[in-house]
Amino acid sequence: MNFTVNSKVLVQGATEPLGAMYVPLMQAYGTPVVAGVSPGYGGQALDGIPLYDLVEQAVEQLGPIDTTIIFVPPYEVLDAVLEAIAAEIHQVILITEGVPPLDTVQLLREAEATETLVVGPNTPGIIVPGQVLLGTHPPTFYTPGPVGVLSRSGTLTYEVGLELTRAGLGQSIVVGIGGDRILGSSFQQWLQILEEDDATEVIVLVGEIGGDNEERAARYIAEALDKPVVAYIAGRTAPKGQPLGHAGAIVASRIAGVGSDIGTAESKLAAFKRAKIPVADRPSQIPQLVQRALAQG
Amino acid sequence: MDLLEYQAKELFHQMGIPVLPSQRIHHPTDLKGLRVPFPVVLKSQVYTGARGKMGGIKFVENTIDAIAAAQAIFHLPILGKYPKVLLAEAKYNPDREFYLAVALDGSTRRPVLLGSQQGGVDIESKLDQIQQVVVEQEFSSFYARRLAIKMGLKGSLICSVSSIVEKMYRLLVARDLDLVEINPLAVSSSGELMALDGKVTVNDAALGRQSDLATLVASIPTAPPAACGLSLVPLQGTIGVLCSGAGLTMATLDLIAKSKGKAANFVDLGGDYRHCCPPAILQDRIRQGLDLITQDKSVKAVLVNIVSNGVSCLQVAEAIASFLKWEAAHRHLPPLVVRLVGEQFHSARGLLAAINVPVFESLDESISHTVSLTTATPALPREKPKTPLVLASA
Repeated sequence: MNFTVNSKVLVQGATEPLGAMYVPLMQAYGTPVVAGVSPGYGGQALDGIPLYDLVEQAVEQLGPIDTTIIFVPPYEVLDAVLEAIAAEIHQVILITEGVPPLDTVQLLREAEATETLVVGPNTPGIIVPGQVLLGTHPPTFYTPGPVGVLSRSGTLTYEVGLELTRAGLGQSIVVGIGGDRILGSSFQQWLQILEEDDATEVIVLVGEIGGDNEERAARYIAEALDKPVVAYIAGRTAPKGQPLGHAGAIVASRIAGVGSDIGTAESKLAAFKRAKIPVADRPSQIPQLVQRALAQG
Repeated sequence: MDLLEYQAKELFHQMGIPVLPSQRIHHPTDLKGLRVPFPVVLKSQVYTGARGKMGGIKFVENTIDAIAAAQAIFHLPILGKYPKVLLAEAKYNPDREFYLAVALDGSTRRPVLLGSQQGGVDIESKLDQIQQVVVEQEFSSFYARRLAIKMGLKGSLICSVSSIVEKMYRLLVARDLDLVEINPLAVSSSGELMALDGKVTVNDAALGRQSDLATLVASIPTAPPAACGLSLVPLQGTIGVLCSGAGLTMATLDLIAKSKGKAANFVDLGGDYRHCCPPAILQDRIRQGLDLITQDKSVKAVLVNIVSNGVSCLQVAEAIASFLKWEAAHRHLPPLVVRLVGEQFHSARGLLAAINVPVFESLDESISHTVSLTTATPALPREKPKTPLVLASA
């Protein structure tokens, strides 16, 4: 994993509305964005960043690239990720919302075969406060410190970041794993990474209803984690079976074969309880639980 | 979103999955022109399972009985929903009933094939008997045969069942589906297979490249709005909620419930990275969202909670102010409470304070204030009135 100022960052879909909006923001934060890729715009520049028609042309000119941030429209995401993998980029941050899940399945098969880390889709990306912004996080909400934040949400992650910052608790890294049902990286994978990360002393896990990401994370924490974890679950009162914008958050036993009650708030709260992980009642309670965890650690 | 049974079976038929001869019935008198020979089964076309147990499926032997049965089914709500169409289908006498499904699994991040020899109505109670095969790599027929073997099938059923599983998988991929389910798959004494019921869940995100499915779904009354339209989710309380992003919306609804408030409805404007609605059009969406929320007369107060990196607090405040300016001129609006964080907060608060809209920076405070507005006077009746309710102050 290399998410530092000493890495090289590419933006695919740099001239798309979202790309054009967030590239200057990332640059202003100090993110080393070295190039953009937008077919048809090769040879031009955006905010002083050279644009290329192909990812491989950017790599040829600038040398190996560590991370690509993808802003292309949903149906072009599969192709964009395959192109990045073919150019040997091993960290992909997939911001775009609305990727058909079968495309995600296909791109993840390729990512697994090439040991490529995919964050997302449907994510605000990653911020390492004081160092790099790789996505859409509002930089002023965050400040450097010892708390690692992992979340399935976008704006709720901003909320939690702000609560921590206001309480004087800075963050080592904030990762949006994405709001979709099929995701490139899981809570468990990131817990493993943060357990090894020297800058992280305590982890906040912001979960929500749907899927079994939280249940698996809780098991993993109990078995393998030394660092303290504080959790929050959104959607305890969400109407059942109602689409809530996050495809992953639909609670309905749609697939009869895959567990009956996995995915409900009750199942997740029970899993955290079994793993002895404190769960905040509300976002504003998270700082207090984090402080307690730090004091005990 | 789920297709109706008859729509699912049309897709099965196109794929070569065996289905019975059938006919759609839009009105009981359509049964006079029935081309399917008796005995037939009439089935309510609604989106919920368990319709059989609730009387939504009837067997009939002749036209007179069929018309009477159809009338009864048309007037029978299944979990509150009346069918617009019935399906009349040839009656079939299975020897055994299997369960088959192909779905996308978030844990393995792969499609999974599911199957059991114990299919039928009580499938939920036999979940532990359902066998699973994860399609790890590019699909090939052996994955389907592996499922058939795990299901305990022998002899010719191995190939006949796995061929249906393969067709289900191909259908899932070709049409970008989330789920294809056959329950039950009837097995006759001679080993013939027949899909007696079918469920297909289409993926909303993929509808933009599945034009004929999009047409099917558009005919469904509960269909979600086109990719970037706003949708209002109705609930049972008195607080309207306009929020940005799914996670924050859920958290806001949870906090309202925790403060003993009740949400009447909510609109989620979406997060910061939705391609079809970049932050540039968020101001328009705020106005549209407020319009949707305040059309509901049971709303006694509206909470606006916008957290975004795409627009500033001032831009949000301007959108709210312009909505109030135009709307308040010709209709009564419930009081608004606004919660904002980020850039230009103080100018936003100033702008809204001038028109008596309180702005909070703390989420908890905005919620307790909103709840206090709805609990100060006696609550409205739980049942939503059919005609617009005229508030005393209007």
